[in-house]
Amino acid sequence: MSPSGSDRQDSSIATPRGDEWSDCLLAIARSADRAAFTRLFRHFAPLIKGFALAGSRLSANHADELVQEVMIKVWQKAAAFDPNKAAASTWIYTIARNCRTDLFRRLQKFDTPLAAEDVAPDGADEEPFEQIQSRRNGQRVRELMAGLPVDQAQILAKVYMEGKSHAEAAAELDLPLGTVKSRVRLALQKLQIQMTA
Amino acid sequence: MPHYHPDIDFLTAHVAGTLPLAQSACVAAHLNYCHECRRTVSGLQEVGAALFERVAPEVVSEQLLDMTLARLDEEPPLHFARQQAAGEKTPAILQRLMNGDFADLVWKKVTRKLAISYLRTGDPGHEFALYHIRAGGRIPLHDHCGDEITLVLQGGFSDADGDYHAGDFLFRRSGEEHAPTALQSEDCICLGVLDAPLRFRGWAHRWMNPFVQLRPG
Ligand SMILES: [Zn+2]
Repeated sequence: MSPSGSDRQDSSIATPRGDEWSDCLLAIARSADRAAFTRLFRHFAPLIKGFALAGSRLSANHADELVQEVMIKVWQKAAAFDPNKAAASTWIYTIARNCRTDLFRRLQKFDTPLAAEDVAPDGADEEPFEQIQSRRNGQRVRELMAGLPVDQAQILAKVYMEGKSHAEAAAELDLPLGTVKSRVRLALQKLQIQMTA
Repeated sequence: MPHYHPDIDFLTAHVAGTLPLAQSACVAAHLNYCHECRRTVSGLQEVGAALFERVAPEVVSEQLLDMTLARLDEEPPLHFARQQAAGEKTPAILQRLMNGDFADLVWKKVTRKLAISYLRTGDPGHEFALYHIRAGGRIPLHDHCGDEITLVLQGGFSDADGDYHAGDFLFRRSGEEHAPTALQSEDCICLGVLDAPLRFRGWAHRWMNPFVQLRPG
């Protein structure tokens, strides 16, 4: 599913590789390019809908509503996208996650002054060195993901894609909570995510 | 640099969007002080993105594309996440919730040395409150029926286990007792997120219990 195919061998990403999806975002930011938006939509809308329906808490109608909302936000916020900081898919994922959280809360009639993006902003401001690091980490995470044991990949998908708490994941998989937590930790270790505590 | 951090379970749930709102806001406030956890969060975000790229796609109709294209020129809503300016002390998330500064809040005096101000997050299961402890003052010995997160915002405090300073994130499970004391040198302001009310121990402070019922939301 990598957009950039053949120039993969270049692992130094001091300057961002031109990839199709980043280019689309830049074209939207530069010239409100609807053709670029349409290409982006055709690729990401099915993923956003898959993300919406994972965990089956949303109806198909709500999933479509989420797709629209996320893609409109992508259009409106494209100028804030910085290819030095994140891959296009990472940026779009964080927007989709926040929109889904807000939609869950709206459906539960949750009355809050906070939007999900107040709590988890889509672009953390880091120093340039950190940005290169995080792009590099992103690439490494994607490569290591392929080697995860099935049970660990399954738990990560439950937590991230289905939006299940560790406790809910434990109940669904009929596992003790401690087992779920240690599988998540093991998976994150394999993905070389640094842990402070 | 803080010495006490949310553990990886907290950070993962925060990034995945599954942490209760009040706790997530507290993690967000810690990130404001903590470079290391910001780096971890950025890694966890990449994990989410990698999973997102591999999610089973669902068919989207041409009609939905057309409807979306037709809405592109709508005015964006007026809500903008507040960006943290460099060197700002108070985390952006708290500035949003306080609508101003610590001094602008309504503080409810509990003892001569302790005042509490409740902030509304809308989280129905958690109380989100600021504690102002005067220099050298202590919060009476208490335990909890639920879990408690404390984040030091200004000054510092100590308890039987150690000293805590701005940015330190502490998690106590239900049943653990403690009696935090503010450092002698300055007042301490910390944020506490509780999922059940505090219970003060000891005769002198029993009378306070009816006043400290949990106030979620
Ligand atoms: Zn930290």
